Amino acid sequence: MTVHNIRHGDASDGALAEAVGGRLSRVDGPAKITGAAKYAVEQQLEGLAYAVLVESTIASGKVRAIDTAQAEAAPGVLKVLTPDTIISLRTASDWFGTPPPDKPYCPLARDITFSGQHVAAVVAETFEQAVTAAALVKVSYDETPAIVDLSDGKAGDGIPIDAMTKEWGDAPAAFAAAPVRICAAYNTPREYQAPMEPHGLIARWEGDQLTVWEPSQWLDGMARTYAEWFEVPFENVRLVSPYIGGGFGSKALALSHGAVAASAAKMLGRPVKLVMTRPQTFTGYGGRAATRQTVTIGADHDGVIQSIVHRGVNETSIDGMWVEPLGSVTSIMYATPNFSSKQNVVRVNSVVPGAMRAPGENPSAFGIESAIDELAYEVGIDPLEIRLRNYAEQDPHAKKAWSTRQLREAFAAGAERFGWARRSPKPRSMRDGNQLIGWGVAAGTYPVRRAYGEAIVRILADGSVEVESSSIDMGQGTYTILAQTAAETVGVPADNVVVKLGDSRFPRAGVTGGSRLAGVMTGAVYKAATSALDQLVGLAISDPRSPFHALQANTLVVANGRIGSPRGDGPDVTIAELLKSVGRDCIEATGDTMPANSTAEDRYKNYTTIAMALPHTEGDYSRHSWCAHFIEVRVDEDFGTVRVSRVVSALDSGRLYNPKLAESQWKGGIIMGIGQALLEEGIMDRRHGRIVNNNLADYLVPTNADIPDIDVISVGIPDLHSSVLGGKGVGELAIVGVAPAIANAVFHATGKRVRDLPITLEKLI
Amino acid sequence: MTKIPVHLDINGQHHELQLEPRVTLLDALRERLGLTGTKKGCDHGQCGACTVHVDGERVLACLTLAAQAEGRTITTIEGLAREGELHPVQAAFLEQDAFQCGYCTPGQIMSAVACIREGHAGSDEEIREYMAGNLCRCGAYPHIVAAVRQAALEVAS
Repeated sequence: MTVHNIRHGDASDGALAEAVGGRLSRVDGPAKITGAAKYAVEQQLEGLAYAVLVESTIASGKVRAIDTAQAEAAPGVLKVLTPDTIISLRTASDWFGTPPPDKPYCPLARDITFSGQHVAAVVAETFEQAVTAAALVKVSYDETPAIVDLSDGKAGDGIPIDAMTKEWGDAPAAFAAAPVRICAAYNTPREYQAPMEPHGLIARWEGDQLTVWEPSQWLDGMARTYAEWFEVPFENVRLVSPYIGGGFGSKALALSHGAVAASAAKMLGRPVKLVMTRPQTFTGYGGRAATRQTVTIGADHDGVIQSIVHRGVNETSIDGMWVEPLGSVTSIMYATPNFSSKQNVVRVNSVVPGAMRAPGENPSAFGIESAIDELAYEVGIDPLEIRLRNYAEQDPHAKKAWSTRQLREAFAAGAERFGWARRSPKPRSMRDGNQLIGWGVAAGTYPVRRAYGEAIVRILADGSVEVESSSIDMGQGTYTILAQTAAETVGVPADNVVVKLGDSRFPRAGVTGGSRLAGVMTGAVYKAATSALDQLVGLAISDPRSPFHALQANTLVVANGRIGSPRGDGPDVTIAELLKSVGRDCIEATGDTMPANSTAEDRYKNYTTIAMALPHTEGDYSRHSWCAHFIEVRVDEDFGTVRVSRVVSALDSGRLYNPKLAESQWKGGIIMGIGQALLEEGIMDRRHGRIVNNNLADYLVPTNADIPDIDVISVGIPDLHSSVLGGKGVGELAIVGVAPAIANAVFHATGKRVRDLPITLEKLI
Repeated sequence: MTKIPVHLDINGQHHELQLEPRVTLLDALRERLGLTGTKKGCDHGQCGACTVHVDGERVLACLTLAAQAEGRTITTIEGLAREGELHPVQAAFLEQDAFQCGYCTPGQIMSAVACIREGHAGSDEEIREYMAGNLCRCGAYPHIVAAVRQAALEVAS
């Protein structure tokens, strides 16, 4: 549980900073800049033991034997866990809530399907002892040939995923008949979320009650998994996640290392802390799957698209299923009368891939937004103009109106700020000394994912307001925007609001992923706060002890923590004074956005699975965020090094609850996109099927020196079809389209089309 | 492994510890002293999250044995604010929104304080270069540069 008192906004913010839409500084900021913020694994517990994982060194085969004798004899060792000695768990349901097969679950593997799979764990009195002893565990294997990656000859064509097929018109025939045809293949490598805080947890059992301190994007979903693994009631599991040191999709699910730590804690009767090493974070859970796409576009000589045929492939693991929806942007970005998209997944010896910032939309946009750029050059039309000529006035796939689509406005605002009109169209036509300069544009989009949430708002005796929710803040600003929502709705200064998040004992929230949390939770807090305010005003009007009782008013106004009549006559008292006069020490209201007839089972399903999320095309509208990136690169003609020198992005996330924090998220997405375009790539040792650059020195993420100043422009308007307060998604959106904008800029600079990320120097010289 | 006495002077406080010689300064801070403001991101000197000051210079606590810091003056993020008054770098980080998840932030701030003290905050280019050892996956870099620029001016004035 974490408590934040809001101290202040920026000096320059003025009073409005505290309302929804204001630029209030991060309310969890003071704790984070002073080191006072305690992240999950930083809880200080008595009797803590330390666990360290032992991982497979082969990618495929069987564990023949595990020799634990030396490890067990090492100083301080309390337990060595192997598949033979760890307690038996039950298989848990997946995130859709699908009933699991009735069979045991062992988080330590006998059958090896990827290198880096957990095979054993050592628990010791100290971290140093556990590390040393883990190195003494000797594992022998019977190794079999592994399928290293998508390019492996043994990989095959994979499994067709029919649910991904999207078709209308007759795309192959229209392509064949089109006067202008382009066809190209686009590849993205394995990429990793690499949050700065490694995955880890502290697990503690008290009888059959389990408390887990773990960075989590989804407390209730993870609590469900732990409960099912250990066959205890859901209510017996408490997840605590006060701060999350970055997730980017990777911290939404309970993972096998969590099962190991919680098992160890149960077996030892002591709290156990297990934190992955940085190399383990590359195989302990999945990054973004490697993808392959072919995009063919048939168009007329004016660049008007007649047909798009798209085929995609992503990798998944040997025994798990991950589908990275590669046709998601392809099918909605441009108007086309004929369309076909199909996708296969291919099994390789990898940990099952997972969600990483804008899963699906991100690689999908790399394909279509590169391809339309190729079409622009083919027909000799400006890359911005061709996007406007093919502008989709409605959702081409769902055939529904957009709820809001400020993409045209984004193109206009971004082009104006960037100076796009001054672009010289020909490749290699702009330079500064030995640097070739290129300007590229690409668009991005992300669907509005909606769900239901729950919150409690309390007005306390001292006139302060308290908000509780089991949702979380991993840097998006949840603490801050919920404080702003409650402050504005009840009518108190924001520094009188305390927001408590990150504890599964609080009112429930679904997954923080797919950019849904802000819209869901501001809606729930708004509803709860409105209800609390109604109670407060009702008491003031009707309670015989209230100073307003004699006023016979129909309503009262609450502002800045004071209550008065709308006409300004009669009494004017603080909330604290009113509550004292009517003898109340608290007003409490629960707000949830669930349908009125929801059962307890519906609620459980809503908060612990993603099965009840509302489709973004539900009803009459298709709901998405949109963006346009304008990027300048400088390419050293001799060395082929690419630097991003200028970025202007215009984004439509609907209404922004706090522009200061939304801009930070947008810039963060753009920067991750720069990394994706130029640096990030999991590199395989093909002999052993092993990631060789599994650390932060060799898996290159952008550093400060790689990043120019970034200009972001909000072009959104409130979208009440998307959320209660009018916002659309923020966090996932901005990465989408960055990589193709950079690839397009590199083409403009050099005349070389790189269709295979990342764009490294050997591809340019 | 035999423990040895290690005396550490951290944020003006003296600590007497019995530690195995292999214990890093980072693990001594986080696991023995409850000073968890200093973060572990990689444990290999690759990310900068564990940056502290030893005798006023920025040092990676994960690559420093606790025993090596004996007799030196150690400052961590917890010791930066004086009498409740934020250091200008801390205040600038808040104002410029120079962080999101906050996990790299203590290391960024300790690096930034040293960067300014070293005289390496003369331009945005210089700040970017001398802050490049501190990774931020949330991508707060432009705001970190703005915060360091702002704090450098305040410290100079």
